[in-house]
Amino acid sequence: MTTYTICIFTGNTIGLLNRITIIFTRRRINIESLTVSETERKGVSRFTIVIRHESRDEVEKIVRQIRKIVEVLAVFGYLNDEIVFNEIALFKISTPLGSKPLDVETINKLHKAWVVYWGLDYVVIEKTGNETEIFAFFEYLRQYEILEFVRSGRVAVGKTEKGLVEYLPEAEWAYYL
Amino acid sequence: METVSVLPELTIEPTEIKLMSGSEALMRSLVAEKVDTIFGYPGGAIMPVYDALYDFQDQINHILVRHEQGAGHAAQGYARMQGRAGVCLVTSGPGATNLVTAIADALIDSTPLVCIVGQVGKKLLGTDAFQEADVMGVTMPITKWNYQITSADEVPEIMAKAFYIAQSGRPGPVLIDMTKSAQLELMTQPFVYERCQTIISYRPRLTPKQDQVEAAAKLINEAKRPYIFAGHGVQLAKAEEELLAFAEKTGIPVATTLLGQSTIPTNHPNYVGWLGMHGNYGPNVLTDQADVIIAIGMRFDDRVTGDASKYIRQAKVIHVEIDPAEIDKIIKAHAPIVGDAREVLKALLPLVKENDHTVWRNEFRKYDVIENENITAPELSGDTEKIKMAEVIDLLSRKTNGNAVLVTDVGQHQMMASRYYQFRQKNSLVTSGGMGTMGFALPAAFGAQVAAPDRQVVAIIGDGCFQMTLQELGTIVQNEQPVKAIILNNNFLGMVRQWQQLFHSRRYSFVELQNPDFVTIAKGFGMAGHTCNERETLSDSLDQMLAFDGPYLLEVIVEKEENVFPMVPAGASVSQIRLK
Repeated sequence: MTTYTICIFTGNTIGLLNRITIIFTRRRINIESLTVSETERKGVSRFTIVIRHESRDEVEKIVRQIRKIVEVLAVFGYLNDEIVFNEIALFKISTPLGSKPLDVETINKLHKAWVVYWGLDYVVIEKTGNETEIFAFFEYLRQYEILEFVRSGRVAVGKTEKGLVEYLPEAEWAYYL
Repeated sequence: METVSVLPELTIEPTEIKLMSGSEALMRSLVAEKVDTIFGYPGGAIMPVYDALYDFQDQINHILVRHEQGAGHAAQGYARMQGRAGVCLVTSGPGATNLVTAIADALIDSTPLVCIVGQVGKKLLGTDAFQEADVMGVTMPITKWNYQITSADEVPEIMAKAFYIAQSGRPGPVLIDMTKSAQLELMTQPFVYERCQTIISYRPRLTPKQDQVEAAAKLINEAKRPYIFAGHGVQLAKAEEELLAFAEKTGIPVATTLLGQSTIPTNHPNYVGWLGMHGNYGPNVLTDQADVIIAIGMRFDDRVTGDASKYIRQAKVIHVEIDPAEIDKIIKAHAPIVGDAREVLKALLPLVKENDHTVWRNEFRKYDVIENENITAPELSGDTEKIKMAEVIDLLSRKTNGNAVLVTDVGQHQMMASRYYQFRQKNSLVTSGGMGTMGFALPAAFGAQVAAPDRQVVAIIGDGCFQMTLQELGTIVQNEQPVKAIILNNNFLGMVRQWQQLFHSRRYSFVELQNPDFVTIAKGFGMAGHTCNERETLSDSLDQMLAFDGPYLLEVIVEKEENVFPMVPAGASVSQIRLK
């Protein structure tokens, strides 16, 4: 199984998320993570969808199916080494009186994570990084009581100058750009 | 709590400019798109549009169907004959969901439709209001595009987009869900209609890239046993002449897909037959002996390929397609050409060398002989007690000189119609291919006849299929369309029965029908007809039907348990095609 990151640039219309996700559900592909936000261009949204799949051919077919959606401006499929990617995680840690004190130095210096909120009996720690880093931090925090843990899903930008991916076959990329 | 009912205040516009309602804007948009025919059925949530339509009857011919599915299929038949979008108008909820089958059929068979569907008022959206269904959600996977209009001002722009998307590129169905409030409210600006020419995020490529064309031409010129597959895309692109010119110059044999039939006359020397599960023997077997396949406007459906993993592994594939998503979807293309079939063929023609490939083409003739000896001749011999489907089609083909428009339903009769009708004119077969929708033929034949009043339209229908949409006889009669319908009655769901016979050891599970008297039903609708049960009267029966001035239903009682052969069993490779 290989991880693929699919970046989709679209106009901003109601129901578009559904139009995109049914392409995955119809082919029984599980979406690992999904983030949507408006880009630097007004009215243009960027979907970042992470999937795991054993066949690159199949992923390429999915990319082409997504590109058929009328509102889709462009679609790029990436392998991990072709993108800079990160996600954000929040950990709510229980800190009642008498519990094991947090090692803030390790948290800050080793894990590059920060306490962003102090509650009465808990703190919220924010960690930015890739999945591996976040899970390493998760393992580290297991010694404390984790009340809640949430990840944002991946955001990514391509490493190529144009954002165009060479590993996808030629077909018709050009006219979308 | 006190319930207060508030009546909407009557507002009289003081301005000089008359601002029109969303419904009227919709009508004017249809007129601007030169729509002269719509197929529809009124209901609560579409009534303001029907009220506006009342004033447009001189410009738009509205045809009242008997069931929304009939509207959809009729619009498909219309679109397939006219080469532009068929328009349906139905109400919300059940009106829209009844249209779903036709929309799905239109998507898979690339048929342009614009379906206008009523919806509850904007304030009622999501409240489970009367006849509210999430039609946007339901139709999202089966439309090329869908959109919900919630304000009258959106109408002209959205309708222009709807027609452009439905008709351009690879055609398909578009659904417009229009709230009742948008139908009623007045536009806030004067109505201006501009036809849509381009959408930034949707730019179908018509003209192929020159390097793709050159790469393909090189393969074609070097090929020893090249082979053309002509699909529905040839018809959609109106590329029949270009296909002929290309085939004649290169001498390459041409087979068609089911929907590609009639793109090339069956008596043309380059025509070798049609492909697929029940297609011709030679075209299927020789698929595995070609060295270059030139697939034009077709999508390698599983009914064409059989087991795709064993399909044309020896040949280089040139895939001409307007839809880039079709390339490499089923079969890897060595030389893809993205573009409109007509533009591609025009670009290819000067680059290919003259050739004749006589020896290679004659290979097909050898298989024709085998097919004729084993199947065609016995089918047509007339030595059985009951009439065979093949005889009916063969006779019809001769009596109409292959010039009729055949509209077929789904099943054995559909395959027989394709096998035995000798198409001479382009654009002569309307059938439900990808979706295989039983009940398609009767309403589609009606729509086809409306679109092509000068042509003889004959629907070939099975007894099972007929009972799925027979209420449209009413539409045919009310609109005085001279559709001829032939029911090939074997009292069975024949194709399912055939499979049960061949692959389920004759365990006939729910395939035998107790049929009504079809002719009496037709007469009840005011349609003439008769039953033919004897071979001796078949010829006269067909003459009587064809000569009749007006719609006519001919029921032919055919042999109960005949099978369609050749047959590529499901999951087998095309060269494992069975003759019996």
